[in-house]
Amino acid sequence: MQNVIEVQNLVKRYKKANVNAVDSISFDVAQGELFAFLGPNGAGKTTTISILTTSLSKTSGVVTINGFDLDRQARDVRRSIGIIFQNPTIDLHLSAEENIRLHVALYGIYGYKPFYRMMPAEYRRRVERLAQIVGIDKELFKPLRTYSGGMKRKLEIIRSLMHRPGILFLDEPTSGLDPVSRASLWDYLREVRNEDGTTVFLTTHYLDEAEDADRVCVVDHGHIAMIGSPAHMKRELLERAIVVDAADRDGLLAELAALELRTALDPNGLIRIAYAADTAQSIIARIKTPLSVLRVHEPSLEEAYVELVSGSHEEARA
Amino acid sequence: MTVDVVTNVARVDTEPRIRSGMMRELNAAFAIAWREVLSAIRNPVSIVFTVIVPVIFMGILGGSISQNLGGALPYAYLPFMLIGMIANTLYQGTITGMTNLVEERENDFTAELFVAPISRYTVLIGKMLGSAIAAMISLIGVLSMIVIMQIPMDAGDLLRVLALAPILAVAGGALGILFIGFVNDPKVAGLGVVLLVFPQMFLSGALIPNASATGLLGVLSTLMPMTYSIDLARNIFYAGKPEYALAVLHPFWFDLLITAVVCIVFIVIGTTMFVRRDRNR
Repeated sequence: MQNVIEVQNLVKRYKKANVNAVDSISFDVAQGELFAFLGPNGAGKTTTISILTTSLSKTSGVVTINGFDLDRQARDVRRSIGIIFQNPTIDLHLSAEENIRLHVALYGIYGYKPFYRMMPAEYRRRVERLAQIVGIDKELFKPLRTYSGGMKRKLEIIRSLMHRPGILFLDEPTSGLDPVSRASLWDYLREVRNEDGTTVFLTTHYLDEAEDADRVCVVDHGHIAMIGSPAHMKRELLERAIVVDAADRDGLLAELAALELRTALDPNGLIRIAYAADTAQSIIARIKTPLSVLRVHEPSLEEAYVELVSGSHEEARA
Repeated sequence: MTVDVVTNVARVDTEPRIRSGMMRELNAAFAIAWREVLSAIRNPVSIVFTVIVPVIFMGILGGSISQNLGGALPYAYLPFMLIGMIANTLYQGTITGMTNLVEERENDFTAELFVAPISRYTVLIGKMLGSAIAAMISLIGVLSMIVIMQIPMDAGDLLRVLALAPILAVAGGALGILFIGFVNDPKVAGLGVVLLVFPQMFLSGALIPNASATGLLGVLSTLMPMTYSIDLARNIFYAGKPEYALAVLHPFWFDLLITAVVCIVFIVIGTTMFVRRDRNR
């Protein structure tokens, strides 16, 4: 698959800063990929996304977006991308439709007309249908002050997709949204990706949103700490384990020792058996002692992330 | 929410309908300008401000000057003040509109404008034109004072001055662009705009005649860009009248030249600084 984002040795040092906010990072993103760019606060995520979307200049490095050089072809880059910023960028003095109309005019998709009825029928059909899909059709012409946080986010997504960008940058798109709004927003984004093959570059603090990513890139202190699929990351950083207990705990412990399985007590006082090569099934099949507790623990991306970031922070302190 | 519906929507051709680069920039500038006008007329604070400021300055301060000192002037004070306040309102309105960009940048609204595939100059020019139109709309407050204060005014003279309104508003916008080119903190911008607006109102001859200003006040009056914009308006208003030589400071062409040069210089420096600072953080 062709790369639509290529970043080589990207460096950003803010004025009057002593350290680089982004320190020589390199990565690429393939067409159609859901690429999650994760990291703790201050790691350099928003700085990187601001550079990739042309709103912040880089100190050095080479960036290509959709085949266009970021420095020499910034306008072509901007035409290729859609952005949902961390903070809402909608104009609260305008209605939802007026915000969308301003957007299509800025991208040259339609000539701007001061009134909705004067806009081409194709534009009107499209806006009304999109508003229906995300459930803001009844509020389309109302002031945005009456909108909930979730509705505002949906509006921003509709707006950012009006010019059909090949690449969509989502900078913490669901921050501040309730779980229902988050779920509905992701349903919509999933459909857009399925239909259009849009590449999504995502930053988020909700790690469950990154579980579906094709690849995850964790940045910390401006460096890439790890890059790979969520499964790869979990495999590299965490042990899979089963948690067991039995009425005859001493007997169970003796049996596990005889089977040469690595055991430890978990925080709840239960017996944790870590495994790597084997499957949980192969271990369970060998245990004869009747079990009172049996749980298979599949590590989450969040656990892997915490392990990685807290580990790197401990190293930094040492 | 069905996939079929999304498919139909997604298949719509969204290639830019406007092929010419220049037309795209003009279209975007028009859209930004219209957005500025809508924001201004939908902002109740701005509307109240538009009505109250002329009442305070023209009704109370101007009225008081007229009653106590106006008799000493060799021309009628109230029409003189009205022309000054028309220019002042346009100038101030556009400066304030441009300064809002600093606050919008802080609130992240401008991020949408600055990631669009248009020139940064288009963004600022669109914003300036919109602020200029909004400032012209806000003249309603000043013009209503003609009736309230019973200012003797020939409709033809007034229309000639109003025809100059776009130039006066753009001149204010140019100063606003220069200002935001060097200021990025909304609090500093809020304070700065007051320091930019009020000294000009008092020193450039909007309310108080400055023909006899000497010393430091004379120098400051000469340095104020609005001095020339107001004088330009008075050139139009007093043309062919006996009090022309007494009420007008400079020839028409001189005021026009200074206003045009100052506009171009301010817009180029301000825009360059604003864009450079915005990206080179």
